[in-house]
Amino acid sequence: MNSVNWTRDAAAHLLRRAGFGGTPSEIDALYTRGLEGAVSSLLDYDSIDLTSYEAILAAKNYNLLNVRGIQQWFLDRMAFSPRPFQEKMTYFWNLHWTSGIAKVKGETLILNQNRTERQYAVGKFDDLVVKISQDPAMLYWLDNWLSRNTRPNENYARELMELFTLGVDNYTQTDVTEVARALTGWTIQGYTQADGYNGAFFVDNAAFHDNGSKTILGQTGNWNQLDAIRIILTDTDARGSVSGRFIGGKLWKFFAYDDPPDFIVDQLAAVYVSSGRVIREIVRAIFLAPEFYEAHTRKTWVRSPVEYAVAQIRMLEGTTDFSSAVNSLSGMGQVLFNPEDARGWDWGTSWMNTGTLFARASLANTFATNRGSSGTRFDTNNLLAGRDASTAEKVVDILADRLNISDVASDVRAAWIAYMNANDDGSRGAWTNTAGNVDKKVRGLVHLMLTSPAFHLA
Amino acid sequence: MPISRRDFLLRSAGFVSVSAMVPRWAVAGTRMFEESVGAGAIGRTLVVLELMGGNDGLNTVVPYTDPVYAQVRSRIGLPLDTLLQLDGKLALNPAMSSLKALWDKNRVALVENVGYPNSSLSHFSSRDIWHTADPTLAQRQGWLGRWADAAIGNNSNPLACAAISQSLPRTLLADSVSVPSFVSLATYSYATDGAYAGDRNNQLNTFLLQGADQYEIENTFSEVTGLGNAAISSSNILQTVGSGYVSGGQYPAGSLGAGLLLIAQIINANVGARILYVTYGGFDNHANEDNDHDTLVKTVADGIKALFDDLDAHGKSHDVLLMTWSEFGRRVQDNASRGTDHGTAAPHFVVGDAVKPGIYGGPPNLSSLDANGNLKIENDFRSYYGTLLSDWLKADSAAILGAGWPNLGFINKRYI
Repeated sequence: MNSVNWTRDAAAHLLRRAGFGGTPSEIDALYTRGLEGAVSSLLDYDSIDLTSYEAILAAKNYNLLNVRGIQQWFLDRMAFSPRPFQEKMTYFWNLHWTSGIAKVKGETLILNQNRTERQYAVGKFDDLVVKISQDPAMLYWLDNWLSRNTRPNENYARELMELFTLGVDNYTQTDVTEVARALTGWTIQGYTQADGYNGAFFVDNAAFHDNGSKTILGQTGNWNQLDAIRIILTDTDARGSVSGRFIGGKLWKFFAYDDPPDFIVDQLAAVYVSSGRVIREIVRAIFLAPEFYEAHTRKTWVRSPVEYAVAQIRMLEGTTDFSSAVNSLSGMGQVLFNPEDARGWDWGTSWMNTGTLFARASLANTFATNRGSSGTRFDTNNLLAGRDASTAEKVVDILADRLNISDVASDVRAAWIAYMNANDDGSRGAWTNTAGNVDKKVRGLVHLMLTSPAFHLA
Repeated sequence: MPISRRDFLLRSAGFVSVSAMVPRWAVAGTRMFEESVGAGAIGRTLVVLELMGGNDGLNTVVPYTDPVYAQVRSRIGLPLDTLLQLDGKLALNPAMSSLKALWDKNRVALVENVGYPNSSLSHFSSRDIWHTADPTLAQRQGWLGRWADAAIGNNSNPLACAAISQSLPRTLLADSVSVPSFVSLATYSYATDGAYAGDRNNQLNTFLLQGADQYEIENTFSEVTGLGNAAISSSNILQTVGSGYVSGGQYPAGSLGAGLLLIAQIINANVGARILYVTYGGFDNHANEDNDHDTLVKTVADGIKALFDDLDAHGKSHDVLLMTWSEFGRRVQDNASRGTDHGTAAPHFVVGDAVKPGIYGGPPNLSSLDANGNLKIENDFRSYYGTLLSDWLKADSAAILGAGWPNLGFINKRYI
C-alpha cells in the first residue's frame, strides 16, 4: 500500500473530516505535526484540558431546560471545544441513534443522552451499546420501557440490530422476536408530566423479564439483556465480525466516503476485533489509511446542515450564540435532537434540495451581512488583515483558501472575480480596496462562496 | 450593439456552455414560463400522500364482521358500533367521517391488502421498495422519477413535479428532471444583502454561474450542482402562487393541512404541476396506538376532504387524483404496550372524480396469516401503481414497472 502524501491540503482535509474545519493558522499547526502526530493530536484528546472552555460555555447561559438551548449548547461545543474530534464523534453518535424530543418530551433526558454519547464516544463499543440500551430517552423513544414478557414490543430489538449494530440483512424476524424477549425488563420509572418528563430513570425490573429459553442468532439459552447484546456484537459469519463490518463501514462512510470497497470494510472489522471493539482505534485506522487522503476521498462528504452552520463559523472565525443557526435548522432539514424516525436523517446528497439550498443561503446571508455588534457575525477586516487585497483576483483567492475551496473550476473563480469587479448595472468596474467595497463586495463574496456547491462539500 | 449584463458575465467567465443551462424562466419569471408551456400541456395532476411509519390498516378499514378482529385487537380494537360502514364487511375508523363523506359522493376507491411478496419488516427497506417499485432495490430512481424522465425529460417545467417535504422523496428521484422541495413559500427564495439591493442581480447571476453543472471539483455530485438553477426557476414562479388565494376548504391544523393547502394553491396557479407529493408522519404506533392513531387518520381524512372541497370551489377537481401509500401495515395481533409491531399488507385510498368508486379486494383474512403473524398480500403494489400510471397519467406502465401487473380497474372508463 502507498504511504500517505502528507501535505498542508491533507491536513486541511483531516481537520474538515475529524473536526469541523479550521482557520489557516490551525491548519498550519496541524500540518507541522506530521501525519501521526496530527491524527493523535485530534484523537487522543483526553489530555486536552476543557476547564477553561467549559467555564466560557457555562457563562453563555444556554438554557438547557429547553431543546433550543440544548441545540445551541451542542453547536457551541462543535464550533469551539478544544476537542473537535470528541464533538465530531459525539455528533456521529447523535446521527447514529439519537432519540427525538417530540416523542420523549423530557429535555433533560435528551441532554443526558448526548452526554452519554460524549462520555463513551471513543471507548469500547459494547459499553456504549449497553449505556444507550439503558438510556431513559432511548427506552422511551423506541418503546422498550413498555415491553413485557406477556407480549414483547419489537421496536427497540429490531432497530438495535438493523440500525445500530448489524444491518438489515443480518438477522431474521425470529431474532427480532427473541431479542425483544431478552430485552424485556429494561425499563424506566419516574416518567411523569409533573416534572416535565425529566425525572425518568433506568430500572432493571425482573418482574417484566421473560425468563424462558431464547435462540438469538443461532445461540440458545436463557439469555438476559447483556447476553443479547454480547451475542449480537460477537456474531460472526464466514467473512468475520458482522457488527465490525457494520460499524467500521459506517465510520468510513462518515469520515471518508460512501459505499467503501470490501477490503477497507474488512480491514476496519479486523481492527474492531483486534482492539476489543474500541471505536478510537477504528477511527485511527481510517485517518492513517493512505486511501483516506486520495483525491477521490476529498470533497465527497456533503456537509449536513449542522456541519454547514458550524464550519462557516469556525473557518471565518465568527462570533455567534447560534440562535440564527438554530432558527434555520428546520428549513435546512435537520432539527437537532428531533429526527423524524429511528434512522435519523439520510446523509449525503439527500441533504440537498431546492428548499434546503435556500435555507442554507438564508443562514449564510444572515451571517455575511450582519454589521452589528451582536448576533452571528464575522470581522471582514480580520479576513484580509496583513494580506494584499489590491485586486479582485487576490481577494477571491484569499477567501477561497480560507474556506478550503480553492479547487473550484477556473470558470467559477472567474465568475467570482467578475462579481467583485461588477458595478450595480452589471457593467465591468474595478475592485479597489476601500472600506465601502469591503463592506459590500467582501460580504457579498463570502455569501456567494458559502452558497456555492464547493462549500456544501467537505 | 451593447452587450447585456448577463452576456458580459457569461463571456467574461468563459461560460459558453453554461448559458444554455440557465433556463429562460430563471430570468424572466412566470410570464415567460406560461408562454413557453401552453395550456394544452398542463394535463392531469397526481397528488401522492405518504403516510410515514407504517399505517395500521386494520384500524383504518376494519373487517367488522370478522369475529377474529375483536380477539386479536383485544387491547386497541375499535368499538364495532361506532364504525362507518362501507359495505357488509368493511367499515372506516369513526374518526374518518370526512373520508366517508367523499365515499358517499362516489369519489373514493379503496384498494385492499396492498403489498409485495416477501415483505420486508424494516421501515427503511420497505420504504425504499415502495419508493422505487422494486423489491430487489436495484433501481436508484423512484417510480415517478422514472415516469418523469420519460414523460417530461430534459426540457422540463421546473414545477412539473414538486415535493411539499423537507427532503426530496425517493419516489421523485429522477435522472433528468429536477424536483423542487419546500414546506413553505415564505422563505423560498435566494436571500441577498439588503444593504446593497443594487448588487442583487450580480449576486443572483453569480449564484447561477457557480452552481452550474460543469463543476470541476473532483467528485462533485450532480445533486449538488444542478440545484441552483432549479431553485431559482421554481422560486420565480412560486413567488406569485399564494398571493390573494381564497381557500375553499377547512384544512386541519398542522403540517399536513398546510401542505395540502399549498398543493391546492399550486394546482390553481396553473403552472403545469403533474406530480405533487406530500408526507405525513407518526404512524409507527408500537405503543399507545389507541391514543394516537385516531388523531392521525382523522387528520388524513379531514385533509383530503379539505383539498377536494377547495378544488371543487375553484373548479379544479376534475383534473386531480390523490393516492395514499405507507411502507407497510401492522401486525394483526396487538402487543402488550397497546400498540402494533411491523406488518405487511394494508388498504390504500384513491380519491377524485375519476375513480370508479368501490372496494378492490378484501376483506383481509385474519385467520390465514404468514409465519410472522402478518396478513397475506392480495394486490401487488405494482398493480396499484400501474393502474395510476396507465389510466391516469397515460403512461406506459410496463416500461416503468415491468410487464405483467394486472390493472385493478379503479379509474372510471370516461377518464381512460
